Amino acid sequence: MMIEALMAVTFAAALVVFVAPDEYAGRLAAALSLLPVVGSLLMWAQYDASGNALLGGDIAFETDFVWLSLGNLDVHWFVGVDGISLPLLVLTTILTTLAIVSAWTPIDVRQSQFYGLMLFMEANLLGVFTALDFFVWFVFWEAVLVPMYFLIGIWGGPRRKYAAIKFFVYTNIASLVMFIGFIALVFGLGDSVSSMRLPEIAQALRADQLGSFAGLSADALKLVAFVAMFLGFAVKVPVVPLHTWLPDAHVEAPTPASVMLAGVLLKMGTYALLRFNFTMMPDVAKALVVPIAVIAVLSVIYGAILALAQQDLKRIVAYSSVSSMGYVILGLVAYTTYGVGGATFQMIAHGLISGLMFMAVGVIYNTTHTRMLGDMSGIADRMPVTSGIFVAGAFGYMGLPLMAGFAGEFFIFQGSFQSTVHSAMPLFTAAAMFGIVIVAGYLLSAMQRTLFGPFRFDGDYEVTEAAFHDVAPLAVLLLLVIVLGVDPDIFFTMIQQAVNPILETGGGL
Amino acid sequence: MAGIFDFVPAIVLLPFVSFLVALAVGNRMPKGGAFAGIVATAGSFLLSLATFFTVSQGQTYNQTIYTWAQGLDGAVTLEFGLLIDPLSALMLVIVTLIALLVHIFSLGYMNDEGETGLPRYYAGLGLFTASMLGFVVADNLLMAFMFFELVGLCSYLLIGFWFREPGPPSAAKKAFLVTRFGDYFFLVGVVAVFATFGTAAFAGSESFPHLAEQALAGETSVNTFGFAAETWFTIVGLLVLGGVVGKSAQFPLHTWLPDAMEGPTPVSALIHAATMVAAGVYLVARMYGFYALSPTALAIIALIGGFTALFAATMGVVKREIKQVLAYSTISQYGYMMLGLGGGGYVAATFHLMTHAFFKALLFLGAGSVIIAMHHNENMWDMGGLKEKMPVTYYTFLSGSLALAGIFPFAGFWSKDEVLYETLIHGLGGSPILLVAYAMGLLAVFFTGFYTFRMVFLTFHGKPRSQTARDPHGVRWNVKGPLAVLGVLAATTGVVNMVPVEKLLGIKGIDFLHQWLDMSLDGLTAHHYAELTPYSSAYIGGEATTVAIGAAVSLGLAIAGAGLAYVLYNVPEPTEHTDKLGGIKTLLYNNYYQDEYQVWLANSVVRPISRGADKFDQGVVDGVVNGVSSVSLFSGSRVRRIQTGVVSNYAALLTLGLTVLLLGFGLLGGWFQ
Repeated sequence: MMIEALMAVTFAAALVVFVAPDEYAGRLAAALSLLPVVGSLLMWAQYDASGNALLGGDIAFETDFVWLSLGNLDVHWFVGVDGISLPLLVLTTILTTLAIVSAWTPIDVRQSQFYGLMLFMEANLLGVFTALDFFVWFVFWEAVLVPMYFLIGIWGGPRRKYAAIKFFVYTNIASLVMFIGFIALVFGLGDSVSSMRLPEIAQALRADQLGSFAGLSADALKLVAFVAMFLGFAVKVPVVPLHTWLPDAHVEAPTPASVMLAGVLLKMGTYALLRFNFTMMPDVAKALVVPIAVIAVLSVIYGAILALAQQDLKRIVAYSSVSSMGYVILGLVAYTTYGVGGATFQMIAHGLISGLMFMAVGVIYNTTHTRMLGDMSGIADRMPVTSGIFVAGAFGYMGLPLMAGFAGEFFIFQGSFQSTVHSAMPLFTAAAMFGIVIVAGYLLSAMQRTLFGPFRFDGDYEVTEAAFHDVAPLAVLLLLVIVLGVDPDIFFTMIQQAVNPILETGGGL
Repeated sequence: MAGIFDFVPAIVLLPFVSFLVALAVGNRMPKGGAFAGIVATAGSFLLSLATFFTVSQGQTYNQTIYTWAQGLDGAVTLEFGLLIDPLSALMLVIVTLIALLVHIFSLGYMNDEGETGLPRYYAGLGLFTASMLGFVVADNLLMAFMFFELVGLCSYLLIGFWFREPGPPSAAKKAFLVTRFGDYFFLVGVVAVFATFGTAAFAGSESFPHLAEQALAGETSVNTFGFAAETWFTIVGLLVLGGVVGKSAQFPLHTWLPDAMEGPTPVSALIHAATMVAAGVYLVARMYGFYALSPTALAIIALIGGFTALFAATMGVVKREIKQVLAYSTISQYGYMMLGLGGGGYVAATFHLMTHAFFKALLFLGAGSVIIAMHHNENMWDMGGLKEKMPVTYYTFLSGSLALAGIFPFAGFWSKDEVLYETLIHGLGGSPILLVAYAMGLLAVFFTGFYTFRMVFLTFHGKPRSQTARDPHGVRWNVKGPLAVLGVLAATTGVVNMVPVEKLLGIKGIDFLHQWLDMSLDGLTAHHYAELTPYSSAYIGGEATTVAIGAAVSLGLAIAGAGLAYVLYNVPEPTEHTDKLGGIKTLLYNNYYQDEYQVWLANSVVRPISRGADKFDQGVVDGVVNGVSSVSLFSGSRVRRIQTGVVSNYAALLTLGLTVLLLGFGLLGGWFQ
């Protein structure tokens, strides 16, 4: 009942904060959000399971009972974690707390609603990463969008309405496409499954129990469903060319929402790709390796080139997310321990590092009220601590060894270079790896222009060092990034245990 | 058994601790944390000496100490380990000694000059030293890459130390970016080594150089991705070489190094002599057993080296700033090391790495002393006549200059001579490409002699050409001490490997460095490398004759260069004779427009592409998205018109819809058949 307790506490916290007075809603929310942090860390400490939850491995903290029946199909309340979802759970709780603290300075209206929505979103995210029944999962999956829509739409920048609606509609249409794809699979499986529990469906699909449906042969159905679900999830990741909602959403979103969006919400897409497409239908994934790898490389390089052109610090970080998530896709399609395991690790690493970068940009913005490169220079003179952490975080983003980003990226490169799913995988890998040069180009240029050189600031605000509570979340994230970079096995061992069963059947690796 | 090798991690960790200390409490410490750094590097130096002596007893150490990522179910495990053999033990001593001296010198250059931000400075020095030491002791290619990158970070932080000025941040960016470009190839190489051999260990029977050797001999098979084994190994070797070319500032990735002079001078000494730039060449030496298997890779290394040696030396001829001359001399000298490695002279290149570390650290610190005296004016044309005012700096600088120019019997003579000699005999032995590289290296000797002594004469001789040169700022013990130590070393370290003396006079057993590097683990000895290389030797006349001719020619060229400088510049009031070069001077002064084309690539190719991509993204990709939404909004607004709010209309639509539905079902259901 650990997971239920975690969610219940978080939902309750959201409610409490929602009705609390604005003056201390931020403090209260931060304090209450520590409860799920402690809970998830306890789960991590107690975790001794192994294997993949969908493929017959141990499911830790499992609850499974029939909730309601829909004809032949039962809907179960079925939650639990394995080595893939537990790290994401820990990431979610920690990042939420830090994002809440980072909101203390910039959020100055309707605070209780803001923090309530943040906690409400966290609770639903916990659901997304723990639900093992499709129906339950889908409810949480959709419910995450609602608080984010309001966070952007109410507390966002000048074009917040446009960005919020674009985000909501784009990702919702994607969900619809994915939903149709998945339901078609369920119908295709017919009587071989008795519920929408993901392990049951995954194992039935991997055992080739798919029948024909709606005039499509089993193979065609599988292909159509794979493509539909891939497109649906790809919007969330996002991959090129389905990424254009992301920079708009990030630029308009308030800093804490950006942190959650880049840090956790994007990972919903890659997590779902791993859980559904790559776990359930490895044969289709391997058949489509070339287009998927091309999309991955395109996301990495094209995303990085776009980041190079940006003049807004936040847009730079936003586009670099597209680039970093491209690595994850490349790792997934490699179907090797290091490839898929590295992709999962990269989700965590990128969650922490992009959160750090968005927060750092936010701290500078709180002071200067601008994010444009041309509006300032030499900020390091006035904000040495923030700038120092900014530099460290940027190097983390560039994949500096002994920081988490290097571990994730190196694992992926390692895994995809030696992948045998296609003979061109080494070339795809080498092409994607060039991203590490471009990322250095745009981040170093951005830092040179804003942080260094003679101090110059065109605005009317006084530029001084940020408050302790603004800098502290940055420092915590930086510390986590370094700890995970020095000892990636903190998560990588359990990740491998969960990932390896995916590779075993249905492929030669 | 607790041996000295158990303390090797401390060699790396001590400077790391000094980094943490300086960063955390440097503000509250006297001298901004300098003493923490001095104590730490002194401790590392002593431990390195102890390690060196243990290795000299014939002991080596190759041990995994930390599992970074444990691979499950047959996946490769990524580890950190220590490889202490004669090569790394020697390098440990060099790096820690120079780091220690640089720390002491910094007291004079930074503290006494009243610089701010000293904790940041000493933290950077500590991390720089620790990263380099971690790289030196690395027992596998991945660990080497990781510390190689950290070295790059530290160079960024230190080159950009004076971040409030516009120049240093730009130079720091360039240094990191250009070397990152090289490191991209290196990283692909690391991944390829893992994919090919399943290991990246340097030493042992399961190391990748050994497996490669076996694979070529047909004793084992590795995944060569469809290529012939030798072709694939050459590709992998050249990929790793990308990182070497970047860090060791070889053509065409040398452009970052002269800009890096924006950093504080002691940092330049550290970067050029013992850390970042040395890292590249050291890496080739570290995995020489792998490069030795590929004649193509060796030939390319030799050509890059010979060309860079000559190319950089010509640019050094016309520079006005003392540090710029030294910068180009560094590029040129590392070219010699590459030439030696490519030419089959593993010991010679290591020898030159060592002597160069001493004399180049000396020259940079000497230049630092001059810069203090000149109130941070670096233009040699404002100097002159400093000889009398600062004798310690002058004589030590002269010692370093004689070594750099390769004048007998200073250290640089012996090492450069051996590099050239090895290349020559292997070239004569049937590798004409080496002869080309040799010729370039030989020609560079002349230029080296010239620019070195042009620098000495302009700086120290003649009449003072400015007010500051007439009345220079004094320097203290913390500057003179390190200079004296290095001055002696630059003059004398040649004795460790006097091969020409051995060959000419027949005195056996004075090639100490050869013997030293032969004491390594199996497969890492100088002998083994000599067997692996594809070269055979041939001589002009006999061996002794070749030695004599080679030494005489290179010494003659060096003296000729120095002599020309003497004639032109050792006068009371020298003039810019290089103006006589006309257009060539402009070309040289602008570094053959190498910077221009790289800046052009960045600003006129990459930037427009990215802007174009951005326009495409906003206009086309996002345009489609917005287009779709407009269409749906438009159709939505049209469809909305049927919602008139009039009940009778709804009733009509309802009836109509029902009829259509019934009709449809009826048609499908076959009611009308």
